[in-house]
Amino acid sequence: MLRFESVHFTYPGGVEALIDLSLSIEQGERIALVGENGAGKSTLAKHMNGLLKPGRGRVLVNGEDTRRKTVAQLAHIVGYVFQNPDEQLFSNTVQDEVAFGPRNLGFSPQEVEEMVRSALEAVGLQAAASEHPYDLLPAQRKLLGIASVYAMDTPVLVLDEPTMGLDLHGTRMVSSLLADCFSAGKTVILISHDLDFCAEHVERYIIMADGAVQLDAGIDSAFDDPGLLERAGLEPPQLARLARALGIQETPGTVVDFLAMWEKHRRRRSS
Amino acid sequence: MSTPTLYLPRDSRLHHLHPLTKLALIGLAIVAGATLPVTLWVIAVYLLILMPLAAWGKVLPAFLRSSLLLIWPFALSLTLIQGFFAPGEHILLQLGPLSLKLEGIQLAADYTARILVWLSAVILLMLITRPDQLMLALTERGLPRQIGYIILTALQIIPRFQQRAETILDSQRARGLETEGNLVKRLRALVPLVAPLILSSILELDERAIALEARGFTRAGPRTSLTTLKDTAPQSAFRWLSLIVMLLLILARAAGWMTA
Repeated sequence: MLRFESVHFTYPGGVEALIDLSLSIEQGERIALVGENGAGKSTLAKHMNGLLKPGRGRVLVNGEDTRRKTVAQLAHIVGYVFQNPDEQLFSNTVQDEVAFGPRNLGFSPQEVEEMVRSALEAVGLQAAASEHPYDLLPAQRKLLGIASVYAMDTPVLVLDEPTMGLDLHGTRMVSSLLADCFSAGKTVILISHDLDFCAEHVERYIIMADGAVQLDAGIDSAFDDPGLLERAGLEPPQLARLARALGIQETPGTVVDFLAMWEKHRRRRSS
Repeated sequence: MSTPTLYLPRDSRLHHLHPLTKLALIGLAIVAGATLPVTLWVIAVYLLILMPLAAWGKVLPAFLRSSLLLIWPFALSLTLIQGFFAPGEHILLQLGPLSLKLEGIQLAADYTARILVWLSAVILLMLITRPDQLMLALTERGLPRQIGYIILTALQIIPRFQQRAETILDSQRARGLETEGNLVKRLRALVPLVAPLILSSILELDERAIALEARGFTRAGPRTSLTTLKDTAPQSAFRWLSLIVMLLLILARAAGWMTA
């Protein structure tokens, strides 16, 4: 689906943002891209839809070199939700805003209407469909930004800090939207500092520092190396830390996992 | 990440001048650009005053790049408009009912030279002066802080706009907006790019106002400054002299003492 082959990228100012980075992402994977600010996460993600093109090496999207495609063409495959919705909202109504992406991709008016409806439903904004985007609360605008990319129904979805500024209700909306993506078999890549949120949704962690992938692993081994976590500026999700403190050998992602592991752990100790 | 202003920190004598002295230099160039009667003299202000100053301040490459980049749209549109529509006798080129005339070209060259001097003088000021120090110097001389702040924001706003415009461009392209292609396509791409730029800037303005209020910007009474500006007697003398020269130039122009 997505392949990075020895990708180097240097910003015009001279900052080496990616150094000899190789990576492969398959259809349907759920990934968290984590690391400190400036570790190269966004730079990496912007290579996935051609916003940035590698200086050296190749990025392949569905087997095709991104250097031979425009961003608009790659938008059919990779949807990218930017962090700040205010840097994209421009329409007079919420539904027009959501329709913008699908229309650009060339879907028919009926299809666009259906996509807008289901995207607004996914983030709970159907009642606000004909309001002006800037009349919404900041958190609602954030959800609108997510819906406007989700509506494009791309096989890959990249979300940059999807939960930032969201309350419990908003976070739940994002969670259920992600669940829809997973059941549709989409590839989801979360760029986030909210590891507790990631832990509930992803199965693969790509930990970045200094422009390189430091570790690419599942939750069971992603948080084993304290030195690496320190360097990447990360703290394991709370449940993982709790499990460790309790002496549980496995690493849970969700509460359900934790309870199962805790039960097993207790039974083993008592026997 | 680029700095939010054009200012380039360099260790030059020009940089160390008092901001008001720099302002006087730039004001002199601007007044000269407006009042000198001969186009060549105006060009001389650019070549013989502003460029050497930029070189002295070790910012010549950036100065040339910015001023030439900004002037060509003016040069082009002025040449077309004045060349074809200003009255004149000497026809250089006949295009159907339109004719390109020498007088128009001369007029366009004159306007372009003056605009070049004004723009590049302001660019030079921004390249060599930290905006906060300029504002401090002005408010020390009795400029209301509000106005100083407006000037400061105006100086900073263009590069900030640029950064934001790039992010907006990225996020709309990521939603399938085709920005390459023919003119119609490009024009149609304008709304999704310009609207968020303006709307989000207005939102930011609101937060900025609250932040200023929260940090006591509108508080009455005397205040101290974190930085102090160094001034010297020769610089002060130079400023008075510049002011006199500026007034003389304006007077000479108004009274018609200077003619081409």
